[in-house]
Amino acid sequence: MPESLAVRRAETSHAITRVHEVLDALAARDHKGEILTAIRHFPSREPQWADFPAWVHPELSSAYAAKGIRRLYTHQASAAEAVHAGKNVVIVTPTASGKTLCYNMPVLNAVLENSGSRALYLFPTKALAQDQLAELHDLNRRLEDRFGVFTYDGDTPADARKSIREKGHIVLTNPDMLHAGILPHHTRWTRLFENLRYIVLDELHTYRGVFGSHLCNVLRRLRRIARFYGRDPQFICCSATIANPGDLAERLLESEVEVLGANGAPAAEKTFVFYNPPVVNRALGIRRSYINESSRVAQEFLKHDLQTIVFANSRLQTEILLTYLQQANPHLPGKPETIRGYRGGYLPNERREIERGLRDGIIRGVVSTSALELGIDVGSLDTVVMAGYPGTIAATWQRAGRAGRRSGSSCAVLVASSSPLDQFIVRHPDYFFGNTPEHAFIQPDNLEILINHLKCAAFELPIAPSENFGDVDLPDLCARLAEAGYLHLAGENYHWTHEAYPADTISLRSVSSDNFVIVDVTGAPTVIGEVDFPSALVFLHEKAIYIHGGQQHHVEHLDFKERKAYVKRVDVDYYTDAVRYTQVRVLEIAATQRNSASSVVKHKELPLIPSRPSSSSASSTSLTSSFSHGDVLVRSQVVGFKKIKFFTNENIGDGKLELPENEMHTTAYWITLERSLLESLSFTVSERQSGMFGLLHALESVATLLLMCDRRDLGTAIGERPPAPDSGSAAVGAQHLSRPCRDAALLHGTIENFTASRMEDAISHNPKEFFEPNLYLFDAYPGGIGFSEPLFRTHATLVQKTRELIAACPCEQGCPSCVGPAGDLAPRAKEAALAILDRLCA
Amino acid sequence: MSAATDKFSRLAALKPSRPAPVRPAAIRKPGEEDALGRLLGAGVATNHFGEHLAIRNWFSTPEFADPSSTTIELLSRTRDESLSRKTRAALQNPEEWLFLDTETTGLAGGTGTYAFLIGLAWWDAGGLQVEQFFMRDFAEEHSLLLELSQRVAERPVLVTFNGKSFDWPLLENRFTMTRSIAVPKLAAHLDLLHPARALWKLRLGSVRLVELERRVLDAPRLGWHRENDVASALIPQFYFDYLRGGPAAPLAGVVRHNQMDLRGLAALFGKINALLSEASSTTNEIESLDLFGLSRFLQRRGEDDRAHFACMQALELGLPQEFRPKARRELALMFKRRGEHGRAVEIWLETVADPHNGIHACEQLAIYYERRAKDLAKAGQFAKLAVATLRRQRANSSDPLLTSRLEQKFLHRLARLQHLMRINDGLARPLALSRSSGESQA
Repeated sequence: MPESLAVRRAETSHAITRVHEVLDALAARDHKGEILTAIRHFPSREPQWADFPAWVHPELSSAYAAKGIRRLYTHQASAAEAVHAGKNVVIVTPTASGKTLCYNMPVLNAVLENSGSRALYLFPTKALAQDQLAELHDLNRRLEDRFGVFTYDGDTPADARKSIREKGHIVLTNPDMLHAGILPHHTRWTRLFENLRYIVLDELHTYRGVFGSHLCNVLRRLRRIARFYGRDPQFICCSATIANPGDLAERLLESEVEVLGANGAPAAEKTFVFYNPPVVNRALGIRRSYINESSRVAQEFLKHDLQTIVFANSRLQTEILLTYLQQANPHLPGKPETIRGYRGGYLPNERREIERGLRDGIIRGVVSTSALELGIDVGSLDTVVMAGYPGTIAATWQRAGRAGRRSGSSCAVLVASSSPLDQFIVRHPDYFFGNTPEHAFIQPDNLEILINHLKCAAFELPIAPSENFGDVDLPDLCARLAEAGYLHLAGENYHWTHEAYPADTISLRSVSSDNFVIVDVTGAPTVIGEVDFPSALVFLHEKAIYIHGGQQHHVEHLDFKERKAYVKRVDVDYYTDAVRYTQVRVLEIAATQRNSASSVVKHKELPLIPSRPSSSSASSTSLTSSFSHGDVLVRSQVVGFKKIKFFTNENIGDGKLELPENEMHTTAYWITLERSLLESLSFTVSERQSGMFGLLHALESVATLLLMCDRRDLGTAIGERPPAPDSGSAAVGAQHLSRPCRDAALLHGTIENFTASRMEDAISHNPKEFFEPNLYLFDAYPGGIGFSEPLFRTHATLVQKTRELIAACPCEQGCPSCVGPAGDLAPRAKEAALAILDRLCA
Repeated sequence: MSAATDKFSRLAALKPSRPAPVRPAAIRKPGEEDALGRLLGAGVATNHFGEHLAIRNWFSTPEFADPSSTTIELLSRTRDESLSRKTRAALQNPEEWLFLDTETTGLAGGTGTYAFLIGLAWWDAGGLQVEQFFMRDFAEEHSLLLELSQRVAERPVLVTFNGKSFDWPLLENRFTMTRSIAVPKLAAHLDLLHPARALWKLRLGSVRLVELERRVLDAPRLGWHRENDVASALIPQFYFDYLRGGPAAPLAGVVRHNQMDLRGLAALFGKINALLSEASSTTNEIESLDLFGLSRFLQRRGEDDRAHFACMQALELGLPQEFRPKARRELALMFKRRGEHGRAVEIWLETVADPHNGIHACEQLAIYYERRAKDLAKAGQFAKLAVATLRRQRANSSDPLLTSRLEQKFLHRLARLQHLMRINDGLARPLALSRSSGESQA
């Protein structure tokens, strides 16, 4: 034993040296100091211990002791105490800090004290539930199999389900199964519900946006059913580090939650490096491929015999990186492959084998998608290389947490792509390493989502109009549902009156389930994929080149009625880019604020639109702008497409399309640039135009950063502010729709000359109106998903960070990393964008 | 248009549930409020939970079918011996039997599906007493369920058609949802779907109750007719329309439909009882295919002798061409189990060329010659024959994977046989001559 310890110590000291060797090598290449934009050392941290609380059942503490856990970390002890005191808690701790004990211990203690107690665990994915099952089985074995613990999901065999319902003290499932498989059949689960004491929500931060809004409604239904069986369960939540874990938890649970943020777990010494691939064309802002650079960095680590995990952001990139690294490390005949891939499509057995190989150290390198980001146990590795920013700071830390042997030095490297987000992060290390600014938002009262869950709730138990279900007018909604034939009022309650089973048609991962199926008709027709309705219009219009799994397909026919796109495999040297017009019409303003004005103007107190600036307010003393949020109607239409040659990006042809207009009622945040502000800019009209588009491009990037959302979750548009209504509020914009504006969201931020010329048309026809444009950022989901109000609240930060992003970008006249590619913009666009921002920040 | 109405009109979640208007076409007139009661001759029943409609009718057909001990014995047999014993004891007294069939607001199950009409029936005065409870609105559900629980307490042996997986679990849900009326305890639950499927699926293809009535119970001869019978699929909508003030007449049809189902159910029991009780000599009136069905049912219950006899009889009476090979295959296996290997071999030898059963026959023959007759060469021949047949079939097989897997299996067997033969050759060369002479004779 001492001998092996000595050997291990020698090894680890070597590991430290090896990590430093690699870092030195990387630094040596960075002559100008532009590549390694941050190198942060985190010293190791000693554990802070606490004793097991006195109330912990002796058998449970000895079971933990048998696993080698004789003391608790301080945060585990305080979490256990808070739970024991009957509070709802959210525990915020980094990866590998022993958070599962925080919920397993109180739950098991409750079961040992009263074998009737039941708990429900919710994990965002099936894989995570499986992983936790193993841990609980281990504890159960040490407690002589005293409690029943089972996963209940789509894979659970039908004959096992009955006994799980009866005997499961702890049932591990996911929100989707709870929604469609458990709640609508709660009478089969009376044992669980009548004794339901704890509900555990792990990875709470993943429940944001659409998924989080759905989950909140599922929890409303769950609590409603628990109340029916006389229970009011307590919630134990765990979250990665985000700015508002408490808010998120309180919003999701709709009750008070105590936040426990301190961390008493030890940590190994760690180095975090930001790596920005070198610039190869400064004028165009083009950098070396981050995929190649990531592979290079990873190879450097592997060469030094450091066990390495490489994270990529898509399956395709995973495969590319895997190929590169396997070529660089050919596997010896008769020996197992030392570099492996790990992603969703792999079979469970193969995954288990890879997880084992990583723990045993036989596998030296693994290339993974986000699949390995969440709690799967693969032990700790030496180094982590992230090919591209994972999208959120929380996810970045979770991935980085994969490196960190308790007794050694580890290293995480983030290799930035040229996307604005990546560039912002690596150029503003303090933003990343400081207190996280990331907020998770949900909008559970989105009517489309809420009504769907209201239907499910009525199916589960008749609804009384006096009940609480979200912040809506419940009697009115019930009456509307009755009118539509779903409910019927009998006595005091509304009952479900439809043959269909409502949960079947509602997916928690999207707002509506209106999808297009892609059929490959090259040979025998086969379905190769599915895309949602709005994407179908953009990517699957006729003559589009649709790329699936690296293979190009030509869209032969788009069958709107049947929701099918027929494609054929082709091999061409171009791709297509849809030209889309988006109009935004403001329906109702929730709040408006004049730039740096003192008070928020509640819309109800004033006319809908602030009156047009009079000559006095346009004086040079106030360069005015305002920002607002509210309900909007977004109309978009794909009107044509362009064929763009690979590599050279030449436009080699275009086509017109006649596709139906898509209408969506949603929420938006927008900035209104008033005439006085625009007139103060010394730029030509087209430079100003380009400046606004560039500004919007950058605003969108920063907004996705602040909201922890995907680019696809937000849409952008520019439209003029409608003229003030003559009288009354109902007529807002009814006949004054915004001029056609392009949508930047789905076009990768490129601006076509085509569109720009249309813009000029619009301006020449109505120059006056265009001088007061609205820059819209809207929620790309019907009904809105809760981004607009937070954007309104964080307006100052948003504008400030956008300015930093553009100002810090080394490109000359704009690049994809800031205001968009230079070629698509007027020459002084970047300057114009900055000038506008200066005035917005003033 | 105000923003608010705009907002609601655009919501997909509020799109009407049916393309047709949700308001029923005809609206009940005020005087028609109790039309349903009058149409059906129903009375209003009251208990401490409230009211509901109750309808009682006595029918002379089907006549009381006294369950024979054989029937009870066969129907109660399950893998769980103590459960079988309990069921058998419970079934002894037909006065405790309660036939049950429900009409529901959907087939999906789950907590949002209601049983709005509960039909019960029991043997009475040589015929069938039918009692139905109907809820005029959801508020009457509790009183309906209370009534049901009292009836079940009096007659705790339930007889249903598909009630084990549909009606009873749904009612259990309903009871649980009341939080005040306990789920009634059943002494036994006889679901006739399973025996009916075993007995008649072969002949009818589907074993829907209506189908059974027409082709097994010979309903027209009993003077039964389901004229203007409502289509099951429409029943939930009739009820929803009624709830919203629609006409009562379609529901009168639903009540009659439920009555017919209950009478059909009782008659079905009579038929099964007759079939299972009958002494093996008086099977003349039974169709050959039903005999084969009976044979399979008996086989599954471990009644080997009767099963074997029924199968032989079915073949003697003459089965339709498509069922003969299957029946012969099963008969052969039954002979084998009874130790009558010679008669089994006879059948297999006749079927080696059969496109469906040839492979099976070859396998059985290979086993027989290897293990019983100890004739390895002969066993090898049949294995070879199977391989050749499979290779021929592979080209146009619907399941090439299965075909090749089977082929592998026979090649394996062949290899093993050849290996054994080589060993035997080495050990017992002197015997080789006599064996080869035996071979030519088979």
